[in-house]
Amino acid sequence: MTISSDLASHTADTSLGTDPALEPVAGRSPTQLAMARFRKDKLSMAAFVVVAVYLLLGILAPFGVKFGILDPFSFHSSAKYLDIESGSIPKGFMGGISWSHPLGLEPGTGRDVASRLVYGVTFSLTIALSATIVAVSIGTVLGIVSGFVGGYVDAAIGRLTDLTLSFPQTLMLLALSGLAVAMIVQAGVPAGNVAQALFVILVLGLFGWPPIARIVRGQVLSIREREFIEAAKLMGAPRRRMYFKEVLPNLWAPLLVYFTLTMPAYISAEAALAYLQVSVKPPTPTLGNILTDSISYSSADFFFFFTPAFLIAVIVVSFNLVGDGLRDALDPRGAR
Amino acid sequence: MVNPRKPLAAVAAAAVALTLAGCGGGSSTSNNASTKGSKGGTLYYLTFRPAEHLDPQRMYIGRDLADMGRMVYRSLVSFPVTKNADEALKPVPDLATDTGTSKNGGRQWSFTLRDGVKWQDGKAITCADLKYGMSRSFATDVITGGPNYILGFLDVPHAKSGLPLYDGPYKNDHAADFDKAVTCKGNTITYRFNKPFPDLPLAIASLRSFDPYRKDQDQGDKSNFAVFSDGPYKLQGKWDTNKGGTFVRNPNWSQSSDPVRKPLPDQIQFVQGLTNEVINDRLISDSGNDQAAVTDRVVPPAFYSRINGAVADRATQTDSPFVYYLLPNFNQMKNLKVRQALMMATDSQGWRNAEGGSKAAKPAKSIVNPSLVGYQPNPAFTAPQTGDAAAAKKLLQASGEAMPYPIKFTYNGGTPTSDKAAAALAAGWKKAGFKVTLDPLSDTYYDVIQKPSNDSDVIWGGWGADWPSIATVIPPLFDSRINLTSASNGQDYGNYRSDTVNKLIDKAAAQGTVQAQGKVYAQIDAQLGKDVAYIPLEVTQFYYLRGSKVTGYNLSPATNGYPDLGAAGVTK
Repeated sequence: MTISSDLASHTADTSLGTDPALEPVAGRSPTQLAMARFRKDKLSMAAFVVVAVYLLLGILAPFGVKFGILDPFSFHSSAKYLDIESGSIPKGFMGGISWSHPLGLEPGTGRDVASRLVYGVTFSLTIALSATIVAVSIGTVLGIVSGFVGGYVDAAIGRLTDLTLSFPQTLMLLALSGLAVAMIVQAGVPAGNVAQALFVILVLGLFGWPPIARIVRGQVLSIREREFIEAAKLMGAPRRRMYFKEVLPNLWAPLLVYFTLTMPAYISAEAALAYLQVSVKPPTPTLGNILTDSISYSSADFFFFFTPAFLIAVIVVSFNLVGDGLRDALDPRGAR
Repeated sequence: MVNPRKPLAAVAAAAVALTLAGCGGGSSTSNNASTKGSKGGTLYYLTFRPAEHLDPQRMYIGRDLADMGRMVYRSLVSFPVTKNADEALKPVPDLATDTGTSKNGGRQWSFTLRDGVKWQDGKAITCADLKYGMSRSFATDVITGGPNYILGFLDVPHAKSGLPLYDGPYKNDHAADFDKAVTCKGNTITYRFNKPFPDLPLAIASLRSFDPYRKDQDQGDKSNFAVFSDGPYKLQGKWDTNKGGTFVRNPNWSQSSDPVRKPLPDQIQFVQGLTNEVINDRLISDSGNDQAAVTDRVVPPAFYSRINGAVADRATQTDSPFVYYLLPNFNQMKNLKVRQALMMATDSQGWRNAEGGSKAAKPAKSIVNPSLVGYQPNPAFTAPQTGDAAAAKKLLQASGEAMPYPIKFTYNGGTPTSDKAAAALAAGWKKAGFKVTLDPLSDTYYDVIQKPSNDSDVIWGGWGADWPSIATVIPPLFDSRINLTSASNGQDYGNYRSDTVNKLIDKAAAQGTVQAQGKVYAQIDAQLGKDVAYIPLEVTQFYYLRGSKVTGYNLSPATNGYPDLGAAGVTK
């Protein structure tokens, strides 16, 4: 399911935390209620555990590399490990699986696939998470302003949203990558993978905000008519307070859902960009880099092809399930 | 000379070159195709890269030079159709009655045209056609992209810019100079050079730029894809620059006038624009017309495991004309000990394994391809193929430089394979105390590395000789006088400059025989090794599949390691 359709329901719903159906359960906040509902949903909980494991791996991997537990860069390319006569495919069961290399070796180099994948999760999640934060932040601010102020400002932001949506994003990414990365480097960012990663984050983020802005605007349109906003207005609250202290706290539920649904989209996007040579460059592993390399080995070393694809599929599905589960939990009228 | 991964059109003609020259007999994994084929049928040639020129004076890609030489363009002398690697690079008479007579220490050459050789319209090939063909190379404003050695060799006056005053048949300024240097007497043509050209027959047999051209067929740049044949085939209709074209029998060619070619198929069809994966997938499945297909696209390493059983009988491996190597940048890495440490730490085995192992690349002991006349392994490269990190570290420590020593390695990247191969080298260098930054470039590669201000420390390079003589390897790559200018370093990407080597290059050029030249070149190569002017990585391999109905299949040094169309046929 696409993200915008997921969220279409939110455009319609109003006060999430004050649903009268929740009143009878006394002594529990709406958040606690939502959490309870989420915990009851076994599939979402399982997906949540998977996501937590990925996040943990992503956080711990750099330390694993530092302390030598993970070794994503050492070569085992001698004839002992690779079949030099037959395209440097790893020797042994399923692409060289052994106790020291539980997911086998990379064809051509003999680098440890498990280490590279775990370390790749770090880079992929960092890129996807940063891009999601950029997109959600921009979308939220523009959405609130657009919905709250209305009038010309609303119209202007609305057209900006349309314009951004109609931009050929992938084409821009490819055509501008060299130029844009050079500009990022000129702005003082270290050349190489830092600049490359920043470029990917910015492009995903700067093109990813329109759907969020629309959702948020829809929410704000209803929130701004509520009594507490009226009260704040009467008391002369400054604009910034209205936006971020009065409106924003009422948006966290849809934003959280949106966040968990945008993450997997960007993880897949990173993989696609790696295939198009615009992501972080090898030998730094990202899930996309590894997947790109593995495609040509689909028949020669199936397991090597299968593992990164499987890993990406699992993480994308898990994030989506968590997102769906959260939406169901936070908005019981939505899906059930 | 060649940069195998370099788009030729992007390069100044003076700096360019494409391949030629052979490969010492590679190991044929199998060669079951019968040598005796029957006449008839259609042979298919599946390939990727569209031909940029079919004009004999403008062609410079090894594949095209070889294919067109066998099908449509005959030369005074040619390399024979043979499976004997020792014979393959000895020119035999083709349009000429013999392999030429030289006078004056290789400064003057004469060839006499054979009787009965005709163009595709039935008119006889004349000495004037040969002379006209060569004159076209001098029109450097029209006839671009082709080899330009003749501009430096032919004994005509030169302007200060280094170009001859004679500017080709279109403008025809200073035509008298050319008429003096190239003369016709009956059917005998005589060339006069300003220095010894003992390897002229090798050059004629390898390139197509010495071939005859009929003046009334010449439309300058418009003739780029025109084929006016004097060989056993002629182009049917027009060449499609995207898709290719079909060659059919030329009725005005006769076997009795041609001692070289044994044309078997009635048609040879070229199909351009297919990727390695598509071509090799089709050749593995071997169905329909693909059973009668050959290709110049190597089997991708990921496909090697599918080459077994009956498919393996249709796979052949041979040395390509290319050698890949590293160039330390002498503007950056001035300390000899550091360069020695780099050489000692280079894990060329890891590089080759990442490229796909022994079917993709073999160890190289020199920048000179083993098939060239006068080849000798370079005595300087004593490090083990996997590198010796401990010995390298000692050298680096002895250099007096701070460690870790930072280096930037610039290579032609952009594919998972090239990135893995570069990472293999980086891993070896790191162990020896270098701090490596990988710098993969793609489209801009040659623009960047040819800038004298380029700050890369180590640069990847690849080269194939224009004809099987070291004179087309070492001088174009390491003669600082022809390469280094304020705007570009030519082919001397490492900015290497040595008076000793330059003097020896002059000495080699003054020798009257290819063998004598070879001896001097071996001396130069040893000096280059001592200076660590380059580090050899691999002799690139050609590993090709063919269809099951192809006969007389031969990957020969005579055709730059590509399938020899002079002998191939198809069974019904």
